[in-house]
Amino acid sequence: MTQLRVLLAQRLRRDWLQLTLWIAGTVGLAFAGYGGVADTYGTEQDRIGTLAAVMANPVILLFRGLPSGADESALLVFLLLPWLAVMGSFMSTFLAVRHTRGDEEIGRLELVDATPAGRWAPTVATLVHGTLAALALGILVAASFLAGGAATEGALLVGASVAAVTLVFLAVGMLSAQLMRTSRGANSLAVWILIATFVLRGIGNAMGTPSDDLTRMESSWLTWASPFGWGENTRAFDENQWWPLLPCLAAFVVLMAAAFALQAVRDVGGGIVPERAGRAAARGALSSTTVLVSRLSAPSTVGWMVGGLLTGALSTTLGKVLDQVAGENPTIADVLRSLAASGDLEQAVVVVFFTMVGLFAACAAVQTVARARQEEAHGTAEAVLATPVQRVRWLANFLVVGFIAILLTCAAAVGGAALGATGDDAGPELLRAAVVAAAGQVVAASVFLVLTALVFAVAPHLTIPLGWTLVSVAIVLGLFGPLFDFPDALVNLSPFAVTPQIDGDGVDLRGLWWLVLAVAAGGAASLVLMRRRELAPEG
Amino acid sequence: MAAVIHTQGLVKRYGKVRALDGLDLDVEAGQIHGFLGPNGAGKTTTIRVLLGLARATSGEATVFGADPWRDAVAIHRRVAYIPGDVSIWPNLSGGEAIDLLARLRGAKRHDRGYTAEKERLMEAFQFDPRKKGRAYSKGNRQKVALIAALAVPAELYLFDEPTSGLDPLMEVMFRREIARVKAAGATVLLSSHILSEVERLCDRVSIIRAGRIVESGTLADLRHLTRTEVSFEGTDASAAAVIAGAHDVVAEDGRVSFTLDSDQVAAALPELALLQVVGLRVNPPSLEELFLRHYGDDLAALEGNGR
Ligand SMILES: Nc1ncnc2c1ncn2[C@@H]1O[C@H](COP(=O)(O)OP(=O)(O)O)[C@@H](O)[C@H]1O
Ligand SMILES: [Mg+2]
Repeated sequence: MTQLRVLLAQRLRRDWLQLTLWIAGTVGLAFAGYGGVADTYGTEQDRIGTLAAVMANPVILLFRGLPSGADESALLVFLLLPWLAVMGSFMSTFLAVRHTRGDEEIGRLELVDATPAGRWAPTVATLVHGTLAALALGILVAASFLAGGAATEGALLVGASVAAVTLVFLAVGMLSAQLMRTSRGANSLAVWILIATFVLRGIGNAMGTPSDDLTRMESSWLTWASPFGWGENTRAFDENQWWPLLPCLAAFVVLMAAAFALQAVRDVGGGIVPERAGRAAARGALSSTTVLVSRLSAPSTVGWMVGGLLTGALSTTLGKVLDQVAGENPTIADVLRSLAASGDLEQAVVVVFFTMVGLFAACAAVQTVARARQEEAHGTAEAVLATPVQRVRWLANFLVVGFIAILLTCAAAVGGAALGATGDDAGPELLRAAVVAAAGQVVAASVFLVLTALVFAVAPHLTIPLGWTLVSVAIVLGLFGPLFDFPDALVNLSPFAVTPQIDGDGVDLRGLWWLVLAVAAGGAASLVLMRRRELAPEG
Repeated sequence: MAAVIHTQGLVKRYGKVRALDGLDLDVEAGQIHGFLGPNGAGKTTTIRVLLGLARATSGEATVFGADPWRDAVAIHRRVAYIPGDVSIWPNLSGGEAIDLLARLRGAKRHDRGYTAEKERLMEAFQFDPRKKGRAYSKGNRQKVALIAALAVPAELYLFDEPTSGLDPLMEVMFRREIARVKAAGATVLLSSHILSEVERLCDRVSIIRAGRIVESGTLADLRHLTRTEVSFEGTDASAAAVIAGAHDVVAEDGRVSFTLDSDQVAAALPELALLQVVGLRVNPPSLEELFLRHYGDDLAALEGNGR
């Protein structure tokens, strides 16, 4: 018992900042959403109109929740619940893998296993730790709804739903950590499950049966195959059903049991899914740090490119559908225009989606620089920098590869947009908007590249947390700011919000030159500072 | 002979910790120089400063006459390094990691000589290059660094506890490789906390304690400073008191033991014969003893805490 307490305390100490940020971000989104919905969809008529429009549009249902009536709080749940649950789920999968397979892979777990704490204690401690985090998240989400003035039972149910889905993904993370030999493998397996079940639920809702007044949807069976679907079917502030949380708890228990069962039958350090053998000798190309960095970054970059491609394709296909929706609902049209600042509606949709692309590109960039920090903390940077490789050049490699990752992500999105626009009369116009938006997003994403590099040069230990925090803040400001009516000055702090856009026949450059200046100055500063910095291994 | 490594008054602070506290170290060309000290004494920090990976707080350090912080790249062209805690890339195979590091150090892609040398070393160290980095144990990661360091010739080898994690058979192989690079005229700085290893391999030793060198010299010099331990069966300590030059005479556990200055051992043998001692043991001075002279008070403190 004392061992468990020690291990739990160690986990809380290691995670508290990260978890606080993560939970605060999620709860902040819920809280900001409350005011936003009241402003944008003030009257019941607005809300009924919006829901009716949404029903006709499968793609919106893919990204939002389950329509459950025109109540103000219910509408907010429709808009936000899936995203709150996704944030919680990411939090708990990463948490689960970090403290189990992550520790095991680097051999830290072996130390603990050999103590009286034994084989089970670390896993149990992680389970308790993750459960506490999920409960804290659920309680705070409920509190944020209550603080906004929502009905008590509904607020509690939203919190419970978020916590329940978060718990399911805690178990998913624990199970993948048992299956895969590496934390990377385990994280990707869990994230793929997360994305797949999220999409499944959206498709299930889109295939559902709308009510006669077009304000509610009955999910089809597909939705019931997904934890996110269970969470949504509680219909908080509408029917307030608690029973759909039962399958969540059942899944949590079953997956957890499976994880413990697998742990019982495998060796420490072993996995269930076997590893492939590698090459005996390196290819000729693997002879410079540039190639090394590209090789290390390639898999994640491909992931972001796929995201870019899909988003790009959606951006041009969706326009048509939305045009129709907006014809019926001026509020949605307003929201889209406020995000896009100008241009016609179809182009506005392209711009909105390319903000998402810019976000992916920024993530690709931050991940590349974060890898430099991982190399340094892990010790492989030391091996490389003890050979005739200059520190500054080494960092420059990461900057160049990160920039290429940005270019590739945005290019994939333009490719997707071109695919989506084929056969559309307005195709060439849309594509032009896409190219302008993509070019702007390249610059915006580069700001995050150099900012993260700057953090790396000045405060290496903060690279990873701070880099991702910067992106998250910019996302919230840029994507949700206009929706929830944040002040302009605040929204425009986000590089994504000030990129060039099509303006009639010309292009409105907006903040382009500021962004370019920031990129150039930040890039140069990070390299200069790197020259003066010594290696900072972990510890 | 020219100094390959020279430091004077080298200080490295990490916050309040003085990892190096006025370190004076000289390593001359062609030496196999043992760098001996327990964990936390500052061995790794010294090597990091010598490689320009860490920046000295004050004091002077040169490698091949150059400043390691400013001329790191030029120095690295002539140096091979094995870190104390080797880590390799999780998604590269061991063979790929070796090739990459060797190429960064200047091996050409299709250099037959390099390939042959690498094959020889992989054979000698029984290394399987096909596994992915994350699947290797500590010993195998160590081998990656060893093979990459030894497969490309260097003028100076910096080894930070290179055999921790190797099994005894591999240690023998490692010693052979050290003999080979010595024969080729290279200089080696070998940090270790294993006394026997240093005693076997090195012709000079520096002992580091809390960031300072407390003793430095050839093994013969250092032995001279120490006493030989002699003991025989018996219970009467006064028997040994007659022997000229005997110190610290004690009778314990059925044996009488005392120490002699190492150059007086031969002179004492006739007297021991006269005493007709049984079960005579003569232990030559070991580095261990020397080491304990400098760390004896730490040991005493530790034992004190243990009680
Ligand atoms: N990066 C660092 N940050 C803070 N303290 C350090 C760092 N590296 C080493 N130290 C401290 O410096 C001292 C010497 O460490 P080190 O050179 O690693 O010793 P050795 O290699 O002889 O075991 C230790 O007290 C260690 O805690
Ligand atoms: Mg060390």
